[in-house]
Amino acid sequence: MSEPMIAIQGLTKRFSTADGRKHLAIDDVNVEVAEGEFVSILGPSGCGKSTLLYMVGGFVAPSAGAITVQGRPVTGPGPDRGPVFQEFALFPWKTVLENVMYGLRQQGVSKAEAEARARALLDMVHLKDFADFYPKELSGGMRQRVAIARTLAYQPQILLMDEPFGALDAHTRTVLQNELLGIWERDRKTVLFVTHGVDEAVFLSDRVVVMTRAPGRIKKVVEIDLPRPRVRAELLVNRRYQEYIVELEQLIEDVHLEAAGA
Amino acid sequence: MKSALRKLGPAASTVLSLGALLVLWEILARLAQIDGFPPATEALVQVPLILGERESLASIGASLWRMFLGGALALCFAVPVGLAMGRNKRIAQALNPVLTAAYPIPKAALMPIIMLWFGVGDLSKVLVIFLGVSLPLIYHSFHGAHAVDEKLLWSAMAMGMKPVARLFKVVLPSALPDVLLGCRVGLAMALIVMISSEMIARQSGAGDLLFNALDMALYGDVYAMIVILAAIGFVLDWVFERVRRRLVHWAESRQDAMVPGGGV
Repeated sequence: MSEPMIAIQGLTKRFSTADGRKHLAIDDVNVEVAEGEFVSILGPSGCGKSTLLYMVGGFVAPSAGAITVQGRPVTGPGPDRGPVFQEFALFPWKTVLENVMYGLRQQGVSKAEAEARARALLDMVHLKDFADFYPKELSGGMRQRVAIARTLAYQPQILLMDEPFGALDAHTRTVLQNELLGIWERDRKTVLFVTHGVDEAVFLSDRVVVMTRAPGRIKKVVEIDLPRPRVRAELLVNRRYQEYIVELEQLIEDVHLEAAGA
Repeated sequence: MKSALRKLGPAASTVLSLGALLVLWEILARLAQIDGFPPATEALVQVPLILGERESLASIGASLWRMFLGGALALCFAVPVGLAMGRNKRIAQALNPVLTAAYPIPKAALMPIIMLWFGVGDLSKVLVIFLGVSLPLIYHSFHGAHAVDEKLLWSAMAMGMKPVARLFKVVLPSALPDVLLGCRVGLAMALIVMISSEMIARQSGAGDLLFNALDMALYGDVYAMIVILAAIGFVLDWVFERVRRRLVHWAESRQDAMVPGGGV
């Protein structure tokens, strides 16, 4: 097998709380993600799954263990790993178009080319008429579309998505999941996707990593063997899809029970 | 009545409330019949007379010039200090106690000491205005920089933006609404300190005019000067508010609630 896109070995993260106690957030996590694979990290809130993603992004330093991307150790953030946050994190003082152009301009792409590429991406996320709007004028779903376009613009090899649809209403979430799948099925970037939604994880992923809580450890890795392109209406009546949902719901419930019992 | 007021808009409501204040002043003064409390009409007729005198205009101009200098110096000094405190824990820990201790001191109270060092001239007054404006400006810049969304910085880092560029392209614009709020507080502070410094170091300026009139029992002039100062404050704030809105039109509104005269 070829080298994994992302290799996480013995990853551990300890925080010091305000009163000086040590809190073990992530404990000895080992994951490998292949190129072009869509992997979700599923777990209850407070299981450290976002922290795990931030460490892959290079935003947070691990306490122990190693992360390599294409064989190179992660020492900080880089344009090979594009983050998409639940809070969108758009630059509010820039227009939609300027936001999407920003990463390209940072990398020295000419203004004309950056604008052309940004406009094409806005077209793809159905926002071409909103190029001159400011983020505050957009709905949550539109903001997240801009954020995805902004990250796709500088062509990272890996998308790091931190509960990207968590702040959206149920309908918008479904629409954006479909759009994300559409985009992903076209260019097959490697995606690490953090979520606490079981159906979201099954619908999108090739593999789902289920995590325990406090400390966050890997409980189980579930391979999602469902045909692509995936169509929600077809999956809902698909027996295997339903079994995955039940299996993962059960695992999450176990995690909750274990946490309550501990 | 309410809907009629609303239709008139903020400008008309400002005129209405100021007009009501003047009428109230006039009535109370006529009822009270005290020397030190002349009616509005008697005070207001002095306003054009004061503004018509070259000497008093020059005095007011000199005051505003010192205020501008002190404010500009404060801007150059306080904003970088506040932003640095907001982004660096050690700098914040070192300076925060000083800031907290200095904040409640009336800056005019420092005037005697500053006068001992720098005399009664312009320098002392500019310095004390600088101090008065600096503190709120540092405070608000500090909070603005401290509250910068970490994810914005991360997004910029992932794009490959270097630390110095992040300071100017992410931290500064993020903190701008707070910095400008500090500027507005600083503007009011500058006016107050400007007048009080001139009351203490009586040599020239609007505060000097005011107290000269008081010494000579020209109460109409005293009140006229207060009206002029209020008008200056009002106009400066109005202009600043226009500039501020233009600069941070992109920000989610959250500070407008405390703006005087903003909305009915």
